[in-house]
Amino acid sequence: MDFEEKENMPQPQILSLDDDFSLIKNFIEGDESAFGELVKRHKEKVRNIIYLTLSNTDAIDDIAQEVFITVFKNLKSFRFESQFTTWLYRITINKCKDHLRKTKIRKIFLPLKDDEEYNVLGSINENTDVKQIVRNAIASLPDKLRLPIMLKDLEGFSYQEIADTMNCEIGTIKSRIFRGRETLKNILKPIEKELML
Amino acid sequence: MKRLDKDKELISAYLDGELSSAEKQYIEEKIKSSLELQKELDDVKRLKELTNSSFGKIPESVYFETRLFANLNTKTTNKFNIRKWIPVTTLTLLTISLMAVLKFNPNLIDDIIEQQKSNLAGFYKENLQPLLYAADLTNEDIFNFAVYKELPLDAENKQILRLDNDSEGIEYFEIKNSDGVSNSNNLKSFVTALDLNDSEKGMIDSIINSYSDQLSALVLVNDKNSVAINPNIWNTRKVILADILAFAKRHAGNNYLKILPSAVAEIDNNSIQKYVADTKTMKANQYIFFTPDSIFEDNFVFDVNKFKIQMEELKENLAELNENRMDIKEFKINFDSTFKNHKKNFDKVKRYEIFINKDQIKVNMPNIAADFPEINLPDFDSIAFMIQEATKNLNVVIPPTAPTVVGKNNYKYNYNIVKPHQNKKGGISLDSLMLQRNTENELKNNEIKKKSQVKSKTNSGLIDSIMLQQSEELKKEMDNLKKELQQFRNDFSEPKKDKPKQSQDSIKNINNFDIKDT
Repeated sequence: MDFEEKENMPQPQILSLDDDFSLIKNFIEGDESAFGELVKRHKEKVRNIIYLTLSNTDAIDDIAQEVFITVFKNLKSFRFESQFTTWLYRITINKCKDHLRKTKIRKIFLPLKDDEEYNVLGSINENTDVKQIVRNAIASLPDKLRLPIMLKDLEGFSYQEIADTMNCEIGTIKSRIFRGRETLKNILKPIEKELML
Repeated sequence: MKRLDKDKELISAYLDGELSSAEKQYIEEKIKSSLELQKELDDVKRLKELTNSSFGKIPESVYFETRLFANLNTKTTNKFNIRKWIPVTTLTLLTISLMAVLKFNPNLIDDIIEQQKSNLAGFYKENLQPLLYAADLTNEDIFNFAVYKELPLDAENKQILRLDNDSEGIEYFEIKNSDGVSNSNNLKSFVTALDLNDSEKGMIDSIINSYSDQLSALVLVNDKNSVAINPNIWNTRKVILADILAFAKRHAGNNYLKILPSAVAEIDNNSIQKYVADTKTMKANQYIFFTPDSIFEDNFVFDVNKFKIQMEELKENLAELNENRMDIKEFKINFDSTFKNHKKNFDKVKRYEIFINKDQIKVNMPNIAADFPEINLPDFDSIAFMIQEATKNLNVVIPPTAPTVVGKNNYKYNYNIVKPHQNKKGGISLDSLMLQRNTENELKNNEIKKKSQVKSKTNSGLIDSIMLQQSEELKKEMDNLKKELQQFRNDFSEPKKDKPKQSQDSIKNINNFDIKDT
């Protein structure tokens, strides 16, 4: 096969038409429906990450809306140097952090109540919801330990994806996930038998 | 990190499927040989299951896209919202307008600054009143000012204005609290020492009095803590002193030479008169204003006559007058501490130095009288000292209590004479003792001479000049009263013919009535 024959042969397409980069290119070229497709494709993942990060469902949709509005505004300057999802999840995590920061600031100005003393395990009896106990225990972890565990165990992110999303080294993520799990084990140790740990 | 912890971390990553093949092989062999690592593997596996099973799925948001695109439309519509551009547009327009205005009127800012300055100056110039008004300056005060450089600012002498030169010769004025000026009766002592007659006394009084209004207008204050001082006050003081000395030299002759040092005695009267005339023609409207904000020199016309007319009007209502006098009775020293910093902003007034404390304002004003014409005048400070010494050591003769004069028909007149004040002597130096002795001797000699002269000519019996003057006044007074009484009798004797009884009663009443003249 000579060179001309090779040139005339159909070249393999690196990107399919429906992948994220194609949709972004279409959007940049003026096809606003491509953005709708991106939203449809990623909204549940974004909402899940928000839910896992905030541990409550109150502000999920509001924050998700803010995430996609930010994406819409900045999509034309997207540089195609990383996965769209990495960029999208980083925006999501940052929006969640902003929200948590605002909530913490608001709490400073709220009067303290004695009955708000938080007990992770609460009183355990036969009717105690084990899932709720685990959720409470995970929620009590600091953000930097909790988020990697959530993204790994619930969203199935790779360490590399987590590192990209959280903008840190892969070794750090590996260490944080290990430390987070050790901390969680210690929190749940009193009910080890019930949990069959 | 311990080896065991390292292995545990590898187990965590092993379960996440994040180990390289070599690491995977290593940890699998380790797990086989270690019960603890086997337990760790089971625990982490269980923990992952628990984590995974503890979080349910969140309900789907059906209208998510609809809401999102509605939000996006709103945001897109508002993208070019004019409100976003308002600050930038306004700022740009303002800058362009300002540039245009400055292009066509480059002096605008300077004009505004000047106007503000003049407004500020106007503000501080409001209601300026003579500080010395409340003091009711007497000739004695003015004489003391000329000689001792101190002027009382109120009737009780609680505050004084003092002009002086410091050790470096820098002129300054200060307003300070005082226990009271003790130099009273210095004018009288001076006049007595010169042995002036009545008409000459009247003349020196009128000379001193002529400076009263002029002095009043030289230091002005108002309720805004502004002090306006006319630099002429330094020269005016010297002029008053020069004028007094010139008059004394002209009229007192030998006595003048006795009490004053030879240097002063040699003053040329013509040069003093020129000095006085030149000072009076100097521009009197330039004041230095000391305000809480700044120090500045400016023209200010203070109409003394207008002020006096206003005061006369006020006198019609005594209550109002008293209230007004209370306002300016005492000048309050309450400049703030930042006051002294303002002088740094003004090159023109950098030469002034201000010292303020609770009881005193002192302002150094170097070269304040620099524009004054140069006339060969003696050192006035030494004159002041000499006069002070001379007047301090004068023996003032205290006349005896005036006798009660019994007139015809038993009319009695009591004539009380006010005793002249006798100064207390302060610290005595050798020089002052010598001076005192000389002066005492001269005065005694004079008394003896006069006694012998007067005894041979008249029956008055009063020798001293003061006694002579008082005796003459008493005599005149008695003559007048005698004439009045004679007239009185005549008036009563005439209507006696018409109504004899009534008139007799009236005369009886008059005879029983003692008139006391105090």
